[in-house]
Amino acid sequence: MEQDVLTINQKVNQYVLQHTFAENHKIQDDTLIFKEGYFDSMGFIMLITFIEEEFALKTSDSDLIEENFESINAITSYILRKKTKI
Amino acid sequence: MKNKDKRPFNKDILVIEDIGAECERIVAGIRENVLHRLHRIGGVIGISGGIDSSVSMALAAKALGTENLLGIMLPEQDSNGDSARFAQKLANKFGVKAITENITGALKGFGCYARRDEAVKKVLPEYDPDRYKMKIGISSSGLYTNLPPLFSLTIVDSKGNQQSKRLPPNELRQIEAASNFKQRCRMSMLYYHAERLHYAVIGTPNKHEVEQGFFVKNGDGGSDVMPIAHLYKTQVYQLAHYLGIPNEIIDRTPTSDTYSAEQTQEEFFFQLPFQQMDLLWYAFKNKYDPQEVGSVMDRTIDEIEKVFGGFERKIKTTEYLRMPPLSF
Repeated sequence: MEQDVLTINQKVNQYVLQHTFAENHKIQDDTLIFKEGYFDSMGFIMLITFIEEEFALKTSDSDLIEENFESINAITSYILRKKTKI
Repeated sequence: MKNKDKRPFNKDILVIEDIGAECERIVAGIRENVLHRLHRIGGVIGISGGIDSSVSMALAAKALGTENLLGIMLPEQDSNGDSARFAQKLANKFGVKAITENITGALKGFGCYARRDEAVKKVLPEYDPDRYKMKIGISSSGLYTNLPPLFSLTIVDSKGNQQSKRLPPNELRQIEAASNFKQRCRMSMLYYHAERLHYAVIGTPNKHEVEQGFFVKNGDGGSDVMPIAHLYKTQVYQLAHYLGIPNEIIDRTPTSDTYSAEQTQEEFFFQLPFQQMDLLWYAFKNKYDPQEVGSVMDRTIDEIEKVFGGFERKIKTTEYLRMPPLSF
C-alpha cells in the first residue's frame, strides 16, 4: 500500500510539474494548485484524462470537487480511494 | 482600503457620469488613430447585430463620417438569421453602407464544419449535423470554487431534446480550433476590404473580452483600433442608449453566434450575467476588499475570493492571446 502511494504520488507529481503554468520549484505536494491558478479549464480536463488513463479509473461528475484535486496529495488520496473501490 | 480617493463599492459605480464627453473622447480617439497614426482614410467594421459591434459602428460613423465607413455582415451557415437583420437595420439607421460577405464557402474550404463534426461524433456518435444542432459550454456551478470550469458538448434535435457530455481535451481542442476558422475568416475578409479601400479595421471587443481572453487570436482579436476595449459591458449599453442604437439590438441577449445551437455568452464563457460580471471584474481590478464587495453583491467573502481567484487564473492562462509574436 505504501508503495502504491509513493508510485501514484510520483506519477501525479511528475505530471503536474510538466503541465503547469508555474515554475516547478514552487509546487510542493501540498501546494493548492488550483487556488494558485496553475491550471486552466484545458489543464484540468487534461489532468482528469491523465488520471483516468494512467490509473484505469473513471471520474464521475460528483468526483470533480476541490477536495479531490486541490493538491498533489489530494489527488493521490483520491486515486487511492477510487482504486480501492474498483 | 489603501487608496483614500477610491469610492465606496456600489452597484452604480460603473455608470459613466458624462456620457457625452466619453463619446466625444472615443470619437476623437478613433479619428486621431485612424487618420493620423495609421494614415488610413476610413474604416471597415464587421457588424453582427450585437451590442458591441453596433456601438463601435455608431462611434466610428461619428468619427470618420458615414461615407468613410463600410459595415460588413459576415454570416455563415450556423449564423442566426436575426444577426443579419439587426445589422442591416443598424446600418440603415446610421446611414452606413453595409455589404454581406457570406463566408460559408471559405469555411467549407478550410474543413471547418467537417473537422468540428468529426470531433463531435467522437464524443456523441449519434450526432448528425443534418438532424442535430450543437454547442459547447461551461457550467456556472464552477464559479464559486477554485476549480476551473469544464466544457461540455450539447447536441439538440429538432424537437428540442438535448444530450450533453463532458468534453475530453482532444475533442475540445479540435472543436475550438475548427470553430476559430470562423473568426479568422472574418478577419481576413475585413482586411481584404480595408486594404482595397485604404481603410483601417475597427475592432469591436469590450473590456471583458480583451482582458479575460474571450476572443480568437488573429481572429476577432485582429484589428487596427478597438474603440470600446476600455469599456465594461454595462457602459457599452449606456453608450448604446445615448447613441440611439435600435432597441431590438439593446434588448438582445448577448450570444456567441458561433455554434449551430443557440448559446449565450454567459453559458459559453462568462458564467455570470454581465451586470454582475462587470461589478465583480471592476472590484477585482480596483482591488476592493472582498468583504465590501460581498456585502454589496450579497455573496460571502469566500465566494468573492474564489471569483477573484478565477479572474486571476483567466488573466494568467489567457496571457498568450494578448501577446505579440515573440522575438529573441
